[in-house]
This record gives sequence, structure tokens and C-alpha cells, in this order.
Amino acid sequence: MESHNIEKLLDGYFEGATTLKEEQELRAYFTSDHVAPHLEEYASMFTAFNVASKETYDAPIVLPQKQRSTSIYRFAASAAAAVIVGLVLWTQSTQVDASISTNYENEELAILKTKQALGMMSQMINQSTTQLEVVQEFDKASSTLFK
Amino acid sequence: MDQHKFINLVTPFKDKVYRVAKRLLVSDDEAQDATQEVLLRLWTKRSDIKKYRSVEAFAMTMTKNYCYDKLKAKGSNNLKIVHNNYEDHSGNTSKHIEVADEVAWVFKLMEDLPEQQRLIVQMRDVEQMDNAEIAVILEMNETAVRVALSRARKKLREELIKKRNYGIS
Repeated sequence: MESHNIEKLLDGYFEGATTLKEEQELRAYFTSDHVAPHLEEYASMFTAFNVASKETYDAPIVLPQKQRSTSIYRFAASAAAAVIVGLVLWTQSTQVDASISTNYENEELAILKTKQALGMMSQMINQSTTQLEVVQEFDKASSTLFK
Repeated sequence: MDQHKFINLVTPFKDKVYRVAKRLLVSDDEAQDATQEVLLRLWTKRSDIKKYRSVEAFAMTMTKNYCYDKLKAKGSNNLKIVHNNYEDHSGNTSKHIEVADEVAWVFKLMEDLPEQQRLIVQMRDVEQMDNAEIAVILEMNETAVRVALSRARKKLREELIKKRNYGIS
């Protein structure tokens, strides 16, 4: 191809205005053995692109082995987990039953004990709410700032 | 999809993934790791593959993201990649041997371009992809791609002329 034409293509090339086809022409020209002397400085660029485009990935593609074996393991693991959970629940439920079955023979005593237990609980709750009052201080402080 | 089918699907563009990764990560080893990782991720997402208009474009986007992450991690670690893999794999004509040195120089210059320009030059000038495709992968508009491309090409030319005139190396 005439070097005049190539010069024109080069101008467009550096403006990003050439088409892919024109760029292929440029590459073909500059990787040939007939580059005009005054254009030789561009040859290294196009040769580099050409060289770079020929590299290949030769390593084997390693993919994880068959999916089936992992799903079998998964199933076995979940089955084992289910059995363990079942066992734990079963043993616990039997224990809980044993502890609850301590009935008070005297009804009055039972009521008293219950009242005592409930009283202790409300005391504890009151204690913890008093500690929460401190938090309100923050609210006060921020409300003076943000209105 | 079985493994055989999958490999047939990725074979046409695995080299491209590797080359793009290498342009960004520079070292052969890291580019190989990147390729393997991208293919593996593609494999785990194989059930969704039909959703994408082009598997290749999807793979390229994954490659870009993977390499950017790698570079970011490297930047924060202040690690400089050490590499010595400039080779001329082209034919053995005497002319090619003469320019081999200059070709290596062009690769070095490409390394000094900003990441995005490097990618664009790689995809356009090496892989010969069209700007619309590149724009999708890089999430840019086509004009921006063209501007960046022109800037990168001019920068390469400028540096080459500088070298020719002053013999800086």
C-alpha cells in the first residue's frame, strides 16, 4: 500500500477515529517487510500489538471435581447433624420432665413459693430499669443540641 | 452443563482473558492465576451463563474486576511487581530480531499508562474489539473510550519518539 494512504490512516489512528478494519490494514502494513523508511518509527508499536495478540494460555483449566460426590458428603453431614440434634433434644426433654414433676403437696405452700419467685423477678427488673435511667441523660443532652 | 461443554465454551476466549490479565498484572504467574480464577468463577456461575448476552464480555468484565482488585491490594501493600518476561514470540526474520528490542520497549511504555488506558489499548489494539464492546465492559460511554484510546496512543507515540531522538532507556 502507498505510504501516503498509510500516513492518512495514521493521523486518524492517533485521533481514535479509525475503524477496526483500517487498524488491521495498519497492522498488516507495519508488520510487513516493506515499511517506508520515514514511517519506521511506528513499526515497533504495531509489531508489539501483533506480538501481544499471539500469546496463549497453555495451562490446563482446573475445574472442581464431580459435583455428585460433594452432594453425597453434604447429605451425609446434614443427616448426621439431624441425628445429633434429635438425640440432644430427646435426652433434654426427659431430664426436664423429671425436674418439673416435683409437685408441692400443700397448695398454699405452692402459691407462696410462686409469689416469692415472681417477687424476686420483679425486683430484678426494677433494678435493671433504674440503671437505664442514666441513659435518659444522653437524651436530655442531645435534645438541647438538636431541636 | 458438564465440564466438557464448559471447556469448549471458554476455549475461544481463555487466551484473551490471559492476555488482558497479563497487561494489567504484568507477571506471567499472576496472569495465569487470574485466568484460572476467572474461569473457576465462570464455572460456579455456569447455570446463569445463558442470562448473559455474551459470555465472553461477561468473562472480560470479571477479568477486569479481578485484576483491579489485585492491583488495589498490591498498591496498599506497596509491592512492586518483579518480572522478567519480555520475550518476542514472533517469527525469526532478521527484521523481527532487530525490532525485538523496540517491541519490549513498547510493552514497557504500555505498563506506564494508567490502568484504564492500558486496558483500552489492550482490548482495542491487541484484541481488536470494537469500542461499543469495550464501553460495556468498562462501564464507560463510547466517546470516553475513544478519547482515552487516542490519549493512550498519542502517549505511546510521544514516548517512542522521545526514545528515538534521545536514546533514553
